[in-house]
Amino acid sequence: MKRRNSLLMALLLTASMVFTACGSAEGASAGTSSDSTAAAATSESSEASTEAGGKADLVWWGWTPGSPLNEQYIAEFNKSFPDTKITWKQTTVDDYDAAIKPALANGEGVDIFEVSAGSANGGVGIFGGQAINMEEALKNYLGDDYRDKLNEASLNSMTVNGELKALGVGTVYAGNLWINQDLFDKYNVKVPTNFEEWKAACDTFKANGIIGFVQGAGQGAFNMDTYHAICDNIEPGLFTKATRGEAEWTDPVFVQALDLWKKLFDEGIMQDGALGIQQYPEANNMFLSGQAAMVMMGSWYTMNCLPDTMRANMEAASSTDEPFAMVPINFPDIAGTGNTGYVFCDIDYATAVSVNASDVQAATDFALWLGASEEGQQMIADSLNLVPVLKSVSPNWDNVVLTNPEKQNKPVQEYLTNAMANPDNPRFGGISADLNQAMMDVLAGVASGTLSSEDGAARLAAVE
Amino acid sequence: MKKKLSIRNNGMIWILPAFLFLIIMIYYSIFFTFNLSTMDWDGLSPTMERVGFANYTKMFKDMVFWKAIKNTIVYFAITFVVQNFLGFVFAAILHSDVKLPTVHKCLIFIPTILAPATMAPVFRLMFSPQGMLQKFFDFVHIPITVDWLSKPQTALYVLMAIVVWEFTGMSFILYYAAMSQIDKEMLEAAQIDGAGNIRTLWTMVFPGCKGTTVSLAMLGVIGALKTFDIPYLITTGGPDHATEFLGTYIYRQGIRQSHLGYAAALSVMLLVMAVVGAFLTNKANKGD
Repeated sequence: MKRRNSLLMALLLTASMVFTACGSAEGASAGTSSDSTAAAATSESSEASTEAGGKADLVWWGWTPGSPLNEQYIAEFNKSFPDTKITWKQTTVDDYDAAIKPALANGEGVDIFEVSAGSANGGVGIFGGQAINMEEALKNYLGDDYRDKLNEASLNSMTVNGELKALGVGTVYAGNLWINQDLFDKYNVKVPTNFEEWKAACDTFKANGIIGFVQGAGQGAFNMDTYHAICDNIEPGLFTKATRGEAEWTDPVFVQALDLWKKLFDEGIMQDGALGIQQYPEANNMFLSGQAAMVMMGSWYTMNCLPDTMRANMEAASSTDEPFAMVPINFPDIAGTGNTGYVFCDIDYATAVSVNASDVQAATDFALWLGASEEGQQMIADSLNLVPVLKSVSPNWDNVVLTNPEKQNKPVQEYLTNAMANPDNPRFGGISADLNQAMMDVLAGVASGTLSSEDGAARLAAVE
Repeated sequence: MKKKLSIRNNGMIWILPAFLFLIIMIYYSIFFTFNLSTMDWDGLSPTMERVGFANYTKMFKDMVFWKAIKNTIVYFAITFVVQNFLGFVFAAILHSDVKLPTVHKCLIFIPTILAPATMAPVFRLMFSPQGMLQKFFDFVHIPITVDWLSKPQTALYVLMAIVVWEFTGMSFILYYAAMSQIDKEMLEAAQIDGAGNIRTLWTMVFPGCKGTTVSLAMLGVIGALKTFDIPYLITTGGPDHATEFLGTYIYRQGIRQSHLGYAAALSVMLLVMAVVGAFLTNKANKGD
């Protein structure tokens, strides 16, 4: 009898473990089986929950801009929506895809999540399948002319298979350099506008123990920015055409651009060992701590023009110095074509509502507030972290005080105005994950001398 | 009846739930991974496309895959030899009359317990041209530029040096324990017969530690095959895949590029290589 009981206990225990595992697996797979079914189901449940208590408890996943800004957005949102509690869950930019993928597949614990355009981390093409279509909600919020009110890229780049999967929060522009104007003034260095001046500036700084231009070329995304800028310098728009299949990667322009890219390393514009360091944290830290005078960063770097933000970021870079005047400049005309001032943009991040959100309505309210309301967008604009997607909103320059208004106000305002006026020129939005990887490989290979420019261009063309 | 009682008496019945659970989980995971390796799937979409062995065909034509295999072999061969040579020498030295032996043991073993994630930023700084090593060379006026991590020709060797630094303590501690088991009288007899220290070490002590060497080889093979943290955190597999390993490549394909099917095919290959490696080292141990 005892033996039979023991056997029974063992079998029951085994069966319960197996069935528990199977049960959760079924639940997870149901969540991904059909977007529309899941959306409908969660919509019903959210209505029920809202009707039941009117309180919502949401989790917002993302990688940017990071604490404490996200908590500040939530606090501001709660002034209008006090019954919605939102918890910000942050991962690093590199870990985001690995973390969010199983979380979304599991179907629980993710109500709102950040996505980005194209092949960047959190790509909407991959994760959009887990998000509801927000077009109707946006139309109800902004009216039938909502397309006229928002940045075109915020809608186009977030549309997957005809459905608007996320609401853009702000755009980022890249293709320019940032310089430490105080260092340029101190050493009486001319701001570079072409290859020779750029090299001369780097040589002068090097002679004074300062790195002229710093790039973390071990982090491929920023290499792509530099390469894109070189391509636009040679023939504006051709890079974007190639990403859309309207031009060949074997075009001589791309080979010439790879040659110029290599020349940056060979002629000492790129600092020694550039391929061995990352843009974040190393290159960023070198620039913010005054060890380097120039860096390839985009509009997200504008926030460092605010003294408090810069001081905090300088402290993170182990610098206790006072904030300095950094200003944006055009990418130098290294091809000698006269084509300068081109930048490229993407939605930095957009807010998606999970099909499995515990309260879809409350989550949608937040996404709309952040991406389409005047107050939410004004907050984004004034942080100078992103350029708002709502066209009617721009930074309130009466409230925004830069570190050195005399040196910074004019170039920063001109930079943002010029950036917003640039034509359709996506940053990563048109680049597939495979092309992204191939381009990073090619740029590293050409820079290190293991690949010729011609072979590099051929490798880009070979990407399916 | 006797047989049934013996099953119960030897405690098999009590480990049955955990045993079955473990078997189901491991074999299910292997089967799932193999099944996934015949699919084209991004990890989230509700549909998976069956592609047969296309992922395997792609793998054998993939230059990066072969580069990862080559890196793994070079990495294993060099780190295994250097790490175990140093571990063996340190163990032999500490079996002689050395002052403050405990301090030395701690110093040798401490790197083993430091997490690679915490050490990676230190090494990135140390081996950058603006780092501590460069400053040292500048200070002593040695004209060397420390840009080794940025060059495909040297980056792998820097990683191997870091791994040797980190895991020599493990080899040392195992050799130290193995040497404690060797009969001292036998060593004394050898020395009376005229064998010097080096010869005694090579002909008496080293063969006496063969089991440890084989165990370390097996751990080394498996460790090399699943290498991920150090290359990922220090070089992210670059420059130009010069420090790519199967682990980093599986992560790159599965997570970064959302080719879950291809990543699964690479994982199956990794499993096959780990089993073959373990089998060969085990066979070498029994062959004696």
